[in-house]
Amino acid sequence: MTRILGVLALLLVLLAGVVASDRPGAPAALVAIETVDMNTLDPQRMSHNQDMRVGYALFEGLVRWDVLSEDMRVLPGAARRWEISDDGLTYTFFLHEGGRWSNGDPVRASDFVYAWKRGIMPDSASDYVKLFQLIDGASEFFAFRTEELRAYAGRPAEERTPEAALALRARCDEAFGAMVGLSTPDELTLRVRLERPAPYFLSLCAFATFLPVHPPTVEGWTSVDAATGVIEQKHGWTKPPHLVSNGPFVLERWRFKRELRLGRNPMYAGPFPARSESLSIVVIEDQNTSVLAFESGAADIHMDLEAEYIGDLLAQVERGERDDIHRLETFGTYFWNFNCTPSVGGANANPFADARVRRAFALALDKRSLVNDVRRSRERVARTLIPPNSLAGYRSPEGLGHDAARARAELASAGWTDRDGDGVPENERGERFPVVELLCTPVGGHADLALAMASMWERTLGVRSKLAIKETKVFRNTLDNRGYMMSRGGWYGDYLDPLTFLDLHRERDGNNDRGYADAAYEAMLDRANTEPDPLRRLDMLAEAERYTVEETMPVLPLYHYDQYYMYRPALRRDGTPNPGGVRGVSKHPRLVQYYFLFEKVPGDASEPAS
Amino acid sequence: MIGLIARRLAQAPLILLAIYTITFVLAWALPGSAVLNDEGRRPPPEVIAAMEARYNLDDPASFYLEYLYRASGAMWAVETVRGGEPPAFIFDFGPSFRYEDWSVNELIASSLPVSVTLGLAAIVLALAIGVTAGIIGALRPNSPADVATLAVALIGISLPSFVVGTLLLMIFPVWLGVGTVGGWGRPQDMILPAVTLSLPFAAYIARLTRMGMIDVLGADYIRTARAKGVPGMRVVTRHALKNAFLPVLSYLGPACAFAMTGSFVVERVFNVPGIGQHFVNAVKNKDLFVIMGITLIYSGMLILLNLLVDVLYRWVDPRIDQS
Repeated sequence: MTRILGVLALLLVLLAGVVASDRPGAPAALVAIETVDMNTLDPQRMSHNQDMRVGYALFEGLVRWDVLSEDMRVLPGAARRWEISDDGLTYTFFLHEGGRWSNGDPVRASDFVYAWKRGIMPDSASDYVKLFQLIDGASEFFAFRTEELRAYAGRPAEERTPEAALALRARCDEAFGAMVGLSTPDELTLRVRLERPAPYFLSLCAFATFLPVHPPTVEGWTSVDAATGVIEQKHGWTKPPHLVSNGPFVLERWRFKRELRLGRNPMYAGPFPARSESLSIVVIEDQNTSVLAFESGAADIHMDLEAEYIGDLLAQVERGERDDIHRLETFGTYFWNFNCTPSVGGANANPFADARVRRAFALALDKRSLVNDVRRSRERVARTLIPPNSLAGYRSPEGLGHDAARARAELASAGWTDRDGDGVPENERGERFPVVELLCTPVGGHADLALAMASMWERTLGVRSKLAIKETKVFRNTLDNRGYMMSRGGWYGDYLDPLTFLDLHRERDGNNDRGYADAAYEAMLDRANTEPDPLRRLDMLAEAERYTVEETMPVLPLYHYDQYYMYRPALRRDGTPNPGGVRGVSKHPRLVQYYFLFEKVPGDASEPAS
Repeated sequence: MIGLIARRLAQAPLILLAIYTITFVLAWALPGSAVLNDEGRRPPPEVIAAMEARYNLDDPASFYLEYLYRASGAMWAVETVRGGEPPAFIFDFGPSFRYEDWSVNELIASSLPVSVTLGLAAIVLALAIGVTAGIIGALRPNSPADVATLAVALIGISLPSFVVGTLLLMIFPVWLGVGTVGGWGRPQDMILPAVTLSLPFAAYIARLTRMGMIDVLGADYIRTARAKGVPGMRVVTRHALKNAFLPVLSYLGPACAFAMTGSFVVERVFNVPGIGQHFVNAVKNKDLFVIMGITLIYSGMLILLNLLVDVLYRWVDPRIDQS
């Protein structure tokens, strides 16, 4: 018996030891909940909202957006002013003299060149490399470097020595300087030459991929692989205490799936000092748990409310029972893809290769009912790819509405009519319209929508459909092989210009899941890109969008996404400050949040309103 | 005993190699790309190809060997002897594709202690609840107390932990205002998840104890003890439990391993940053290095814990060693 107790005692001692070695710190001034953990804090590698929000807090780009305004004007950031040449091709940025990295080093123009070069190099593989290719020579350099690496990998093994790899890197650096339109006339001046005029480039400079990094820090984690010649990067530098930043916050702690803690950057002297002393981001993946955490007071703001019972929460808001759910109309659109290639995965003939069939399917849908009755979350019904009124000066096209008669006529004009009276349309060879396979993933309510759409199509067009629900990886594969007929999709705009949506339909675009190839459309975009007058350019782009949402229909837009935040408003209904409420949250559709603007209203939150 | 330990330790690398190979084949066969985020932006094809080449994703044989070389510690040994640049960890499990800033070693280092703590707490709790309930049941078989413990045990085994967990969260932190939601690190954060995780184990232990006790209580040496005039409670704790506990002890080995490697559901409901999440998420993300690393660590732990239980078993009951 004593031995059994001994075993138990051993377990208890172990337990106590582990508990004692693992203690959290004091709570931060403000706690935010994210539902997905950060992928990376390396600005050039970022492509997710939650990463970028931390990026904007840690690093300061040349400019920032005024996220609390309606039109997201561009404000000075690390650059105190800038000049744009008359032809719109050359941008010159003048940096603040007092700009400092968190270790005291001055912020130099060359730091931006270093960071942007990482974004352009095929080695560091930025998902957003296309954005950098606006810069003159960047595409050519990308091709040059890719070719150099290919040639190096083809050399015999004994020639691929560390010295040879270093020489390759030196040649790459030299080529970058000679080919790419980035120069630093002095330490505080950055000159950027563009390939073509792009009125949105200035706004793009505020985007996360364009944030600077501290070159000596990053260089310490960089090496050149002798076997492949590739510049390799270890990611240890993005963790405290290594990370050196130039923004309003510094990274104090980052523990995986527990807490990411930001503290005020004492070296920061720029225009956006952090309003909160410290801010802690807690990742809670389970929606139920995250809502309970907010309700129990463990957090001040929930950044991504997606609970299944959101409809009930909204009803409570309408009844005036709660005021902490905030709906944001986003710069994003939910749609279904049509496979535009002639066959499904190279096998069966694909009726959706015909634009008339695609239009018929779009016209047959009552989207209002899909959004209100099926989803019950009442988003904005979408007839266009780009959310209307989201871009100043852009006149959105009409798009196609719900028109059952026209839907049947379009299908008939494509040769599909019910020839044998069984209710299902046949083509002139007597073949029945194939059963449409609707491809989607399990989570997110896609299947409910698909079922409702299927019944609308059957009622209006006589076409039968079936559901194919696949796990994300399999889903992705099926999209890539074009082995589907229709599939769910969606897109959020990255920058405030129509191209962030319209480029999707370029044949060579990596995100063109539809196999849509249309030279006439790409010519429209290219013509718009050479148009010097910004307003005329927008009209030309609107015409290109009209072409895709009224005529060729590669995607079927259903609704524009909404996003929900959960936090107590900063002001009570009577206009007095609401203790425990949060200030500084942007309601702009771009979903950019600047954590340094967040501030909790002081006072006792439990005190009832007077 | 030494012979047993030596034999088992010698077998371990072979078992691990077999597990590594099977896991590799299965993980490689997963559909989709490991380097791409399925819902994210897609970089140009050149960038994708470069990343796949860098991690040997274009060649299964070299991936298999290269990873084995790093994960087995061979690379560390070779580089240390050669005076080169050894990796930061002896067993280098590579980077994570999904969590780009973290290596698999870092992920395991941050999540394994959490799961071990939670698992140990749950097992200790399960022992306390289970053994007590088992004894109560065995002393008066088929009495109301026995039926009650049986009922509780049945509920403990059959109620899924996401129901128990969500209920506990609703009742304690949200309605009664005691306890915490979604935090980890303070002792009070551990209570609700430990209770949830312990219930199925407690139920099983209660049944095992009850069975063993009923068996033992009918034995001659117990009757002798009672006849000698040993007080009732003392008979139970001193004489009966000692033998009745053996089946529980052999169950504890796998139970500990199971509890300490984390439960995906309990971790999700209580937002515990443990290792259980990786088992599910890594496969969903086709995060190859994480799948391989976690599986190796888990298998290693199972082998060690089973060995530990066998050793403890002999220590508690020396007869086993002699036979």
